[in-house]
Amino acid sequence: MSRRDTVDENRSTSSRRVSRRAYLAGTGAVGLAAAAGCTGSPGGGTPTINIITWNDYAKDPVVEAVESNVDATVEVTSSTSSTEMFQRMNQGGEFDIAVPNNNLVSRFIEADLIEPVNMDIVSNYENIYEKFKSFANQQFTVEGNTYGVPARWGWYGYAYNTAEVPDHEPSYKIMFESDYVEEDLAGAIIMYDEAAKTMPVAALYLAEAEDDPSYKEALTENDAMTFSEEQIQNMRDLLIDQKPRLEGYISSDTTYIQQFQQGNFLVGHSGRNEIVRLQENQGVEDVEFVVPQEGAMAWYETAVVSSDSENVDTAWEVVNQYMAPTAGAELARAGKSPSCNPDVADELSEEEQALYGRIDPERIEQFIPFKDIADDVSDAYFSAWEEVKA
Amino acid sequence: MAAPDRDETSRATIVRVLSRRRNTLGVTVGPGAVWIVLLLVAPLAFMSAVSFATIENFQIVWDPTLEHYYDLFAGGTTEYSLGPVGFTTTAFEEAIMLSYAIATVATVLCLVLAFPLAYVMARLNDRMFKIVIYLVLLPFFTMYLVRAYSWVLMFGQNGILNQVLGLLGFGRVGAFEYGLLPVIVGLTHAYFPYMLVTLYASLDGLDFTLIEAARDLGASRFEVVKDHIIPLTMPGIVGGSLFVFVPSVGAFVTPQILGVGKVQMIGILIENRAIGEATNPATASAASMVVVVSVVAALFLVFRYVSLDELGGV
Repeated sequence: MSRRDTVDENRSTSSRRVSRRAYLAGTGAVGLAAAAGCTGSPGGGTPTINIITWNDYAKDPVVEAVESNVDATVEVTSSTSSTEMFQRMNQGGEFDIAVPNNNLVSRFIEADLIEPVNMDIVSNYENIYEKFKSFANQQFTVEGNTYGVPARWGWYGYAYNTAEVPDHEPSYKIMFESDYVEEDLAGAIIMYDEAAKTMPVAALYLAEAEDDPSYKEALTENDAMTFSEEQIQNMRDLLIDQKPRLEGYISSDTTYIQQFQQGNFLVGHSGRNEIVRLQENQGVEDVEFVVPQEGAMAWYETAVVSSDSENVDTAWEVVNQYMAPTAGAELARAGKSPSCNPDVADELSEEEQALYGRIDPERIEQFIPFKDIADDVSDAYFSAWEEVKA
Repeated sequence: MAAPDRDETSRATIVRVLSRRRNTLGVTVGPGAVWIVLLLVAPLAFMSAVSFATIENFQIVWDPTLEHYYDLFAGGTTEYSLGPVGFTTTAFEEAIMLSYAIATVATVLCLVLAFPLAYVMARLNDRMFKIVIYLVLLPFFTMYLVRAYSWVLMFGQNGILNQVLGLLGFGRVGAFEYGLLPVIVGLTHAYFPYMLVTLYASLDGLDFTLIEAARDLGASRFEVVKDHIIPLTMPGIVGGSLFVFVPSVGAFVTPQILGVGKVQMIGILIENRAIGEATNPATASAASMVVVVSVVAALFLVFRYVSLDELGGV
């Protein structure tokens, strides 16, 4: 039917008289159909599972791999921050699944937004690295119920321009001490534009520089970061002193990559996946990513399912598929980051395995997971970060 | 007798309905009023209410408190001294002072750059005016984000400006790295047309024979500008300044892109509290309300000297 035919037919239809009863019946039917669409269960058929998460989860090969193994349509809304995911879910009803970073999961639990994991459905949970199970137990297991599934992970260190910065023992000293390497790094250092990522760097540095293990203990020993107010002030002062040496604070991967290529910084606090992208996608060779001797923080994305979801079981099936080897491999490729399920590596090529494949469990033991700040010092912590940025 | 024309009857009905004063007001003012109430008054009222609310488990609880306002100004730890007087500031106070300072500099720069151009445009013939205004406004037909990102390439330790200086043998200039200067340049560039068009409207209505008369009577060029042109175009200057200053105070995109996290203007601080990792809608609302009140107070002061009618021209 041509476009004109459609218009003419509409005209003739609109000229007909429609009874009030027929009108009400018609709008009622349309309303029902619309409501069915909103709830994701059109006529009891394939449900739609709405997910808010990182862009990698929305890429076609990933979504296709998930949908091919579960009777659901997956709609992914991309987000660039875990906080945004929390807020959107906190506003109610819109999403079945969110995949924030692990440090935000406790907020979802506190706000009573999410369901405990259905281990009968998420069979791939058994296969994830033991270390991530212990992280999950420490960070978001309440009264024996685990509230999230570690999905994909990576770690933070720093990268430097090997053409300009001489070889050195990897240490955060390079970011805080002007004489650590011969190259003048004034104005050529980048830090991450997020308290949760940058404050721990200051803590790890201070733990070594002041020979005070309590900073590291505050990062490791509880389900949240338990710094004292005095420690927070010391971290704040360190970061304020560091500020003149910075080019700035960056959180976007794209900006980080662009700024590195433009030569605006030589040393940058970063995740490993940014550097793999820089090397793989942009062909940059003069860059090396290192894990500092003081320690490295690890992130892992954690899938959670909304308590408001009308398809909780299906949502867990979708989560299980994201953890499965086929979809997990696509997800690892999309983000250049390894899966929390080591079996995913079997689906990757040798070259891919070297970059984001199976990781030696002993190596994972060295990493410290990011955590939310403890409630009793959260005001002091965020005030300190605002003062650093002021 | 012929039946009355159906359209004529409808027209008469509409005229009769609209001729009632209440209906006329409803049709003319109604849509605008609904728009303003829904999109300005209601959100502002909600934001005001939230600023006094309590937050528990990330949910708004309607338990009134002044705590969020108190926290904006109490407990500052950054120390400053003004001569013998020492004081401490909070991050909020620093952000708002920085925002006002940057907005003031951007406004003055816009004024200084736009005034001579607006004067020349007011003296041009119609054809030349059209050419000049087209050339001046052409870059502003592109999206602001694109223009902001073009400044990203210009500035930076290894940006185009520093590269050129390096080639000329001057070495890198620290001021051209991301931070305060790029933010001021970005804001000046962004809001320049608002100042230019407002000043032009003011200068275009100026009676230039008065200037010629002043010159004939022996006034120097400087005196003509100081004693005649500036006073006569003051409403345009004030209007243009408002159009630059107010949005500059609350700027977010420019400091985010060109400040690279080092220039925490009030918009950035509020964003972090509203939707960033320090999520707390009540403190974000309180901070926003202080900004709104301070800007309204500034407008109130301005309107004591210039009437609203005068802002668009002379």
